[in-house]
Amino acid sequence: MSFLVLDPTNERAPPLGQLAKRPGSLRGKTVGFISNGKEGTKGFFAHLDRLLREEFCVAAVVSRTKSNYSAPADGWIVGEVANWDMVVTGIGD
Amino acid sequence: MQLESKIYEAADIGAVQELYHSNGWTDGLPVVPPTRDAVAACLEWTMLPPDHLIGIEPVRAMPVTAEKLAVNAVMAGCLPMHFPVVVTAMTAMLDEKFLLHGATASTGGCAVFIVINGPIRLEIGASGGFNALGNSDRATAVIGRAIRLALINILEVRPGGIDRSTLGHPGKFTYCVAEDEEDSTWLPLAQVRGMPPGASSVTVMAAQAPRQIMNEWTTDPREILETFAAEMRANLRHYSLHAGNYAIVIPKQLREHIQAAGWSKADIAAFIHERARIPRREWADVGKGAVVRDRGDTIYPALESQDHLLVVAAGGPAGGFGAIIPPWLGHKSQAVTMAIGACVDCGPPTE
Repeated sequence: MSFLVLDPTNERAPPLGQLAKRPGSLRGKTVGFISNGKEGTKGFFAHLDRLLREEFCVAAVVSRTKSNYSAPADGWIVGEVANWDMVVTGIGD
Repeated sequence: MQLESKIYEAADIGAVQELYHSNGWTDGLPVVPPTRDAVAACLEWTMLPPDHLIGIEPVRAMPVTAEKLAVNAVMAGCLPMHFPVVVTAMTAMLDEKFLLHGATASTGGCAVFIVINGPIRLEIGASGGFNALGNSDRATAVIGRAIRLALINILEVRPGGIDRSTLGHPGKFTYCVAEDEEDSTWLPLAQVRGMPPGASSVTVMAAQAPRQIMNEWTTDPREILETFAAEMRANLRHYSLHAGNYAIVIPKQLREHIQAAGWSKADIAAFIHERARIPRREWADVGKGAVVRDRGDTIYPALESQDHLLVVAAGGPAGGFGAIIPPWLGHKSQAVTMAIGACVDCGPPTE
């Protein structure tokens, strides 16, 4: 006996966001970090901060930490993103 | 009834299983084929149109419709009469306080613990007796599984994808219990949490695995509850210092001693709130001395206030056992209680 069965997935899922335009160079740019505040992020971002300043000559690194590492970034942090040329965020444990 | 889901044809029941497993649409166990008629029956039972919006997961802007929830409920083995509980549980999980994305994406590996209260338990055969928290009955088994399959398929909560759990626990297959209201003198959990008497209700909590305790050597409520509190202190030491919702499940043998002494759920919560706390310095005893720093004397309670304890009467009639169910991680996710098919404390429209 054959079956006609239904797709259980979210066929209405919103499309993924588009990637921002890639910068040609990091020199003189302002880079923002959005950390979730977990222990493992401290060494990672400290290393990345040094690397960006010393080897890629960025103008500034701005570090921000979310108030709740399990929730999206706070509105005031998101509001600052427009002032940065690029942002680094993601999972850190 | 017009359904929107894409239709697949499978040659036989084995082909159905392979179709769903190979697409990552299962929890690894066989599923019931979600046919159009079975899904429509769930929607008709709850009088929900297929495109009814149960809610939107806000972080990823993912909609959950009644049709998709019903497809997953059928796959889990739900009958139409189980579906109202599934709808209400998902609605409660989409309450902002529950922080669904965080709870399901976390490395912390929690599951959604569901407690059913009210007359619907008896209508659907949900048992709060023998083997509660395990495979006690069909209704709680399939309702809890429906929530897991819905997370997997509708919100893409798959291991290694959105679900970043380092370790899961067996409750991630199904984690549902019905409170034993008939064999208890206590107020049902839903009533304690503000639902009116007689309303069927669902409580959801982002929860770690149950931790069992045993104390059959006393009838003193303080001594019995001290064992529960000690297990909560152990969780504060070994897992997380953060206060949040804890549930405790008290089966009949221990429950009768506590009830005979005249203790209500509020009395239990007050006692546990006072006893389930540790100084930070105890972390040094369990290998976490590096983060004690200068705060060794700071006291960390398991509960911010006594109403954060969810006391549930459930379990078989004999045995001096009980369980505590710790939160996923402190108060980041808060337990939510919601009536089934009723609006409690709803305000009038604002526009």
